[in-house]
Amino acid sequence: MTTAIGRAITAVSGVVLGKEEQIRLAVACLLARGHLLIEDLPGMGKTTLAHALARVFSLEYRRVQFTSDMLPADILGVSIFDPDSREFQLRPGPVFTQLLLADEINRATPKTQGALLEAMEERQVTLDGVSRPLPEPFYVIATQNPVTQAGTFPLPESQLDRFLMRISLGYPSAETEIALLSGSDRRQQALTMKPQLSTAELMQMMLLVEKIHASADLIDYVQRLLGYSRDGGLFVAGLSPRAGLGLLRAARAWALLAGRDYVTPEDVQVVLGPVTSHRLQGSAGGTTAASIQQLLEAVPVVRRS
Amino acid sequence: MARVYQVPRHAFPWLISGALLASLPHMLRAELWLSVVVPLLLLWRIMIQRGRFAMPGKLVRGMLLLGLAGATLYSHGTLLGPDAGVTLLVAAFALKMLEMFRLRDAYVVIILAFFVLATAFLFSTGPLITIYIGLVLVLMVAALIGINHPESGVSPWRHFRLSLTMLGQAIPLMLVFFMLVPRLPPLWSLKVEQQQGKTGMSDSMAPGEISRLSRQNDLAFRVEFEGDVPPPSLRYWRGLTYGWFDGRRWSQAVPPALDRQEYVRFANGVSPQWYLQLLADRGDAAWKYRVVMERSGRQWLYAMSVPFSDKADVGLARDLRLVRRTDLEATYDYRVTSYLMPVAVEGLKDWERQFYVALPSGSSPRAAAMAQQWRDESVSDAAYANRLLRWLNEEQFYYTLEPPLLGQHTVDDFLFRTRRGFCEHYASSFAFLLRAAGIPARIVAGYQGGQLNPLGNHLQVRQYDAHVWVEAWLPEQGWVEFDPTAAVAPARIELGLEQALAGFDEQTDTGLAAVLRSNPLLTRLSHLIDYIEFGWAKWVLGYNQQNQLEFLSRWLGKVTPERMVMTLAAVGGSLMTVMLIWMLWRARRPGLKWWQREYRAMLRLMRKRGLNPPAHLPPAQVIAAAAQRYPRAAAALQDWQHCFEAAVYRPPAADPELLRRQLVVLRRKVARMSRL
Repeated sequence: MTTAIGRAITAVSGVVLGKEEQIRLAVACLLARGHLLIEDLPGMGKTTLAHALARVFSLEYRRVQFTSDMLPADILGVSIFDPDSREFQLRPGPVFTQLLLADEINRATPKTQGALLEAMEERQVTLDGVSRPLPEPFYVIATQNPVTQAGTFPLPESQLDRFLMRISLGYPSAETEIALLSGSDRRQQALTMKPQLSTAELMQMMLLVEKIHASADLIDYVQRLLGYSRDGGLFVAGLSPRAGLGLLRAARAWALLAGRDYVTPEDVQVVLGPVTSHRLQGSAGGTTAASIQQLLEAVPVVRRS
Repeated sequence: MARVYQVPRHAFPWLISGALLASLPHMLRAELWLSVVVPLLLLWRIMIQRGRFAMPGKLVRGMLLLGLAGATLYSHGTLLGPDAGVTLLVAAFALKMLEMFRLRDAYVVIILAFFVLATAFLFSTGPLITIYIGLVLVLMVAALIGINHPESGVSPWRHFRLSLTMLGQAIPLMLVFFMLVPRLPPLWSLKVEQQQGKTGMSDSMAPGEISRLSRQNDLAFRVEFEGDVPPPSLRYWRGLTYGWFDGRRWSQAVPPALDRQEYVRFANGVSPQWYLQLLADRGDAAWKYRVVMERSGRQWLYAMSVPFSDKADVGLARDLRLVRRTDLEATYDYRVTSYLMPVAVEGLKDWERQFYVALPSGSSPRAAAMAQQWRDESVSDAAYANRLLRWLNEEQFYYTLEPPLLGQHTVDDFLFRTRRGFCEHYASSFAFLLRAAGIPARIVAGYQGGQLNPLGNHLQVRQYDAHVWVEAWLPEQGWVEFDPTAAVAPARIELGLEQALAGFDEQTDTGLAAVLRSNPLLTRLSHLIDYIEFGWAKWVLGYNQQNQLEFLSRWLGKVTPERMVMTLAAVGGSLMTVMLIWMLWRARRPGLKWWQREYRAMLRLMRKRGLNPPAHLPPAQVIAAAAQRYPRAAAALQDWQHCFEAAVYRPPAADPELLRRQLVVLRRKVARMSRL
């Protein structure tokens, strides 16, 4: 099973060049039943990544470009009166899919954002008093542009908390870029990729993640990280228990990707940045990433006293 | 359902081996049948344990018990008393193993084993046996831990290690108790028979008896001097005097109609006239020393003339010897100050004079006639005595360990026929000749000489140093010591028995023993052993009530029961406080788990090796860095990391105790391999 995941990751890396770490994180986020926020400039391969992921995991894929005039119904769907049957009929919106790419989520109004985020959390949509479950798995990859902030509605912390991870792809390295430029169109490649895992297999993997063993010492380590984020004075506000749960789940998924049935401190350390950076705000200036590194270095892995 | 309290299997190795080792000192010492029966019974028990035999029934056990009791009765003639009692105890102890069905039987066996171990001290109290008993104690405590440890499949060595730790921790407390708990004199005394032939001095002496004693090399006592050690010719250790002669045998006797109060003076008793006179006459002390005496079963103490001891239970007898109130049933030590001084210069009492010239009528007529004739020819008693000594020296007398037997008139027979004798022959004849000439004389028995141990600068006096000499009362001089043996074999006094006999072409040891004794390395070794044993006798065995009082009074001033109790409470209390603080200190840092301590130890090792991995690095990366630095230890480091991960992060599967031990072993290996 893990070899199938490995093949999938390799396949995606063949399309999104030089971003294996980010791809693995994205897959881990998927396996941990989380949602992914990619913060990047346009044209960095976000769409390609989402597309490729959808293909290799044989997921149904939709893409929504968020704009400021978008309404919740544009995402969730609407009930339309059918004059023939004289009844209202639901037209499901793009949210009814397995992998949703929510492009430039910060361009939408808070109302629209809220509708999506609620669906992400609840994994169901309530229209006209009828709750309709979303398909399984349900994986949202949202993107936002960190630079152009004019006319955007930045996501508040409480909303950001709904995303398990935030990553950014960044510019490719020189060699990667040369390979990229000399190859064929990546988007086209992604469309022709073969699925590596069936949906059922993916669901099975997701169940497996929950069974990954996290020992008492490891949980202790996670808790000390959380505790230090609150008491260490590095951040305006510490990590929430939900962040802690997310951290552990992400670490479990990462351990599964590494082919282990138990979590090691390395797993926690790898996912710590992606899981926490969008939830924290450094108190002493400097980047949040630097503060998170400080947090990491302040907490001993094995208890010493 | 009633629980069956089985004896856990893992406790058996310690139970069986502990029982065997606890009985071993007795098996080596006591009757032969015991050393056959006990291993057989234990073997039987092992067979039962292995399922080869069934447990014996009540009838068989009862018959075995009767048989063992019968054998004891046959060997000792009684079932009472320490010797027979211990034999029966050891036999019954082995038999008890055959009815060890339940856990409670195992408890009984272990308690019995402690008791059997303790009885070994009845027969021997040396340092080696003490260490041995300590080791067997570890085994028995391991068995005790084992039967209280329900978990099966545990290595018995774990119980052994735990037992070792526990007893090790008990040692400080044991020392405190040893030093401070008030010593009580024993409420009853167990008279354990000395082994056959180990007699020492006796209260009478017939020709041939001292020479028999001289063939033994058991230790009699050791002496430690304050200041210089006197030369061999002055080392006359008097223990008792023989005043009564029946023609063959000299016996210790007190004249009738003399009360004991008048004869022996104890510190808390009245001081008779003669004692006050001695006190008045004594000048400066000649020698000060401490004697540590082995158990003799007698009350005589040995010292150089004229001895004074400040011990309460040591008295000075009128014939200038020290006696103890009770027999020595254990190692005993006493300090003595000896004075060189004339004794009884003013004269003897009438009864005393009569007593010390008495001879059986008609005994050895030829010698008696010669004595009278020579006395008449001499100007004084002293001149007569000197003439006798000269005669002994000039005539063909032989000094030998194997004197021929003597006839009815022992003195005549020896002086004029055989002329081959040991010290008792010379002393006996010399005293006879003095008495026959009307000079009061008595025989002094004790030891002469002693070997100096250069390590402790102390003397060891052994049974082969046994010696008798003569004391005569001369006008104006009082009691004067004469040694007729010195006139015949001067080497005996200066160089010891062995050299003296060599001068007469005789040797004490034959063959191998002589070769061994002449080996300087073995001599050094024997000196070392003697030194250790002496220290043991002085500091451990000799630490009795009196020494404890002396020792404690150095700090406490006057030792009262209240002060002793308070000291005990203070020392014990501070010891316990230290332990309490330690325990609290450990509890303060709530439960570092063993693997966390192990990791800390590993980091400590790396710091020692100059690596300083930051604490936030995961173990795997720390180990990888160390492996790069020390390629030789890389394999061990990776194994360690593997075990550590298994112990800490993997789903629990393997035996954690096994992992713990592996980790320790691997860490030590890393420590070895990473040493540059």
